[in-house]
Amino acid sequence: MRLRLDGQFDRSSFLGRTLAASGAVALAGFAAGSGRSAAAGPSEEQNIRILNFLLRLEYAQVALYDGGVSAGALRGELREFAEVCGDQDRKHVDSLRAIVGDKAQAQPSFRFGDAVRNPARFTAAALTLEETASAAYIGQAANLTKDRLSDIAGIVAVDARHAAWIRAIAGRNPAPHAADPAKTVRQVMRTLARTKFVEQA
Amino acid sequence: MSSKPEIADALTIAEIDRDGALLEAVANLYGSSRADFLRGAAFASAAVALGLALPSEASASPKQDVGILQFDLAFEYLQSTFYTQAVRDRTVARMKPEKQRWAHVLGTHELAHVAILKDVLGKNATKKPFFNFHGVTESEEAFTKTAVAMEDLTVALLAGQAPRFSNPALTSAVFSLLTTEARHAAWARRLSGARPVAAAFDEPKTLKQVSRVVQSTRFIAARPQTGRRGKPRYTG
Repeated sequence: MRLRLDGQFDRSSFLGRTLAASGAVALAGFAAGSGRSAAAGPSEEQNIRILNFLLRLEYAQVALYDGGVSAGALRGELREFAEVCGDQDRKHVDSLRAIVGDKAQAQPSFRFGDAVRNPARFTAAALTLEETASAAYIGQAANLTKDRLSDIAGIVAVDARHAAWIRAIAGRNPAPHAADPAKTVRQVMRTLARTKFVEQA
Repeated sequence: MSSKPEIADALTIAEIDRDGALLEAVANLYGSSRADFLRGAAFASAAVALGLALPSEASASPKQDVGILQFDLAFEYLQSTFYTQAVRDRTVARMKPEKQRWAHVLGTHELAHVAILKDVLGKNATKKPFFNFHGVTESEEAFTKTAVAMEDLTVALLAGQAPRFSNPALTSAVFSLLTTEARHAAWARRLSGARPVAAAFDEPKTLKQVSRVVQSTRFIAARPQTGRRGKPRYTG
């Protein structure tokens, strides 16, 4: 079989690009105490670091949607979006917590400010969080062990559906790429920091 | 929690296949009788020979990677031809602007997926089969419903296969196709009046399950077909 498997991925920017995002998994120190300097192959230990990182993104989505619904300013389809996605992302949180077990990260505290009171800002925040989560999962896929990959494939597809839905509500193209880009841990953390949604411990 | 009644009308493979009700659903969708469907099932071996050959479900290996990608390629051929045919039939031109944009974006993406998979497979790329959509691309309603079902099915296909590659580069690459197909499915569902996301988790399907659904549609043909209106069709 002469699939272009070894050393020739640079021929296709498509393949190179997504894998490149997975390389930085252990570099960013996203979880307390992870001071490792190079991405090792998939392992149980690495699974936990990655899943805690993804868990944090799901926590943020649930908190935004719950906040938006309880603030009472969302109407029509936007409110339906918040209710449905809040419910589904909560199931993602439960699922990830169940996989990680004792080592699951606790929910951080969030401060969304106007993003839960102003429909336009809520829409922008939801779009950022769903897009970021979706790209983060793609970036980490190659770093997880196979059994965990099956678990997250069904989650990232739903987050991508959420991203498409909120883009449609915002009047934007729900599927802007033929192949969705991946984001590194560092890029994800930078995006999250820019939103100022996560309170510093 | 609001709950929209039209969700019941939305045809998703996950919903219809759960208790083996796929037969009825396909019959309803295509207006054919149950007997027709069962005749369609007899085409199974032809369809398999024509590009939906099933690679083994054994453990990951470079050889299996090729088999999965070939299956994905056959599926992308099906999707891209489906949208192209709806454009040729002028079904797309008759739709409202937002739906036209949707059909064109999806058609373009599926063509890009074909190009990507052919590039990755190199000389192992399979040829494009012939297709016959049995008039489904000629009516907006049938076209839209089938698109919804097909996009949801692609999500299930890729959710099932993305974790199985031996090569990590393929894993991440196919994850980025999975999320794109999930967006297509959400968009299609919204335009058809259904909730864009039916459940908290997209359930994976095995190659065998996907193959069975594709065969039930009889979209993959043994040779170029003549359309039901008698005009020649060159969908292959």
